[in-house]
Amino acid sequence: MSSDRVLLEVRNLTVDYVGDNSIARAVDGIDFDIREGEAFGLAGESGCGKSTVAFALARLTRLPGLVSGGEVKLDGEDVLKFDKARLKAYRWREVSFVFQSAMNALNPVIPISEQIIDVIETHEPNLGKEGARKRAVELFELIGIPPARLDEYSHQFSGGMRQRICIAIALALKPRLIIMDEPTTALDVVVQRDIIEQIVELKNRLGFSVLFITHDLGLMIEFCDRIGVMYSGELVEVAPSGSILTNPQHPYTKALGNSFPPLTGPRVRLEGISGTPPRLTDLPVGCRFAARCPYAMPVCREQAPALRFHPEHQSEAACHLLN
Amino acid sequence: MIFLARRIAFYFAAFFLAITFNFLIPRLMPGSPSDRIIASFQGRLNESQIAAIRKAYGFEGNLWEQYVTYVQSVFRLDFGISTVQFPEPTASLLFYGAQWTLVIVGLAIFFAFFIGSFMGIHAAWNRGGFFDSFFTPINVMMNAFTPAIVALVLFYAFSLQLKWFPLGRAHDPNLMPNWFDLKFVGSVLYHATLPVLSIFLVSFGGWHLGMRNVMINLLNEDFVVMARAKGLSENRIKYRYVARNAILPQITALALSIGFALGGALVTEQVFNYPGLGKFTFTAIGARDYSFIQGQLLLLTCSVLVANLLSDIANVILDPRLRGR
Repeated sequence: MSSDRVLLEVRNLTVDYVGDNSIARAVDGIDFDIREGEAFGLAGESGCGKSTVAFALARLTRLPGLVSGGEVKLDGEDVLKFDKARLKAYRWREVSFVFQSAMNALNPVIPISEQIIDVIETHEPNLGKEGARKRAVELFELIGIPPARLDEYSHQFSGGMRQRICIAIALALKPRLIIMDEPTTALDVVVQRDIIEQIVELKNRLGFSVLFITHDLGLMIEFCDRIGVMYSGELVEVAPSGSILTNPQHPYTKALGNSFPPLTGPRVRLEGISGTPPRLTDLPVGCRFAARCPYAMPVCREQAPALRFHPEHQSEAACHLLN
Repeated sequence: MIFLARRIAFYFAAFFLAITFNFLIPRLMPGSPSDRIIASFQGRLNESQIAAIRKAYGFEGNLWEQYVTYVQSVFRLDFGISTVQFPEPTASLLFYGAQWTLVIVGLAIFFAFFIGSFMGIHAAWNRGGFFDSFFTPINVMMNAFTPAIVALVLFYAFSLQLKWFPLGRAHDPNLMPNWFDLKFVGSVLYHATLPVLSIFLVSFGGWHLGMRNVMINLLNEDFVVMARAKGLSENRIKYRYVARNAILPQITALALSIGFALGGALVTEQVFNYPGLGKFTFTAIGARDYSFIQGQLLLLTCSVLVANLLSDIANVILDPRLRGR
């Protein structure tokens, strides 16, 4: 579904968490593109900076978080430099968000209808109350929940329905990009399957791009066109989802793949990755994965490798082994 | 509705339990009020006089008969005769005091709740900013003062020294009580200013803190982050998405403090010589006016129960999660 036109260009994005006496660099100068109609995945273990990237793209970073450098370009404009008025138009209209926990993403004491209509009224005031309500009805039909239930409250819906409602709200203004931060993690696998199928179907129909974040690598490979693997605040590899596990370039990607069981084929022994990621307040000079990497060479501990495109693999990777 | 019906049934049972205790406690204590009066005559009473006094104070017959008489008199709003302000019926004293107590405590709670909650909303929204760093510690400190100190300072400064405010009473004694007469209402407000201010000053910090803490917890909720991502206006997020939820526990606390309002502001009313329930209770305790104390306890019980019921109703109206149960 994806075209080659770039929708969002992320360059050298850097996000810090500022403490009283320390700075933790949670995202350290990462580069990637999200193309039109593409589903781009961000994978990596907890604390690697995936959600921090997502929040920075939506301009939701708040203290102690601080976007300290880089650019996020949308049609040549830098999102990070938007003023208040431009930011208001950018929010939800161009980039919307589906949060991890649908249980908490809906306000428990405001009717669902109002939570859909308020965003429409804020951004498209000339539609009027009637028009906004009509749009809300269409959205409920789109996600397959009877519009008669529009005025109910979040506790009256099941977990799966609540996540569908969140997706409906995300679609309310037909945005170009939807950021989905672990949209199905809190749900059981059957509901998860339904939701993903519905997202794929809606994406094919409406043509928005998706930034997809999850721990579930299997799900990500199925859903995404390209996947970026993050480690300790850096992108270590960006590759098409078809080849990221069959032909991984970076040792971390390989190790990550080895720690997921294949659903088909012979049974293999799963390997974990020994050790833990470095502390963000005390990062090593060289490659951040070197301490846990079975292939580490002396150069790895001295010099940090840059993310480089390797045409023969259709993949970008940051590793000295490939040079 | 079933929820409310169950609550009402519960409060009715609680009410009966309360009047039963109210009946039993004085009778379990050594020396009933009638014994005290009889003893004060030092044996100069004959049999029939003693029986008459016992009857007047409801100590005639066995415990069960006394109880039945007591419950009947409660429903007739007959709380006996006051010994302090003899022969004024206790009920009329109670209602007279309750009216003035409601004026000052009601006004104080009203201002403290709204001003305190608004300050809390503002402090939480700009957490760590100037307003928060300045007013939050000050309001905590104000909340730590006892009403006695604040009342005495205000009374000394503004009533005794500057003479800006009166030395006592609830209104100008030359005016006839008439709530439709603006001059009378003005006089009431003038007399109530310092008592209200002294209760307000020691209580609004509590509302400020309560609101601020609940708000801050809510600010990290996903639905607030999502409201920001939606690009909604600052005020809409602040009031509709955060304060709307944070007000729920405040409402419960508000109902409780309204309930206890009829306990009277004992110290404040004493200092300002204000004819409220607190001042009457103070006098009644000193003079062992049992019928007044009993009546006051019953009034307090009822007002706490009614306030709780109102808080339940308000919560059902404001919190959709409680509806339909």
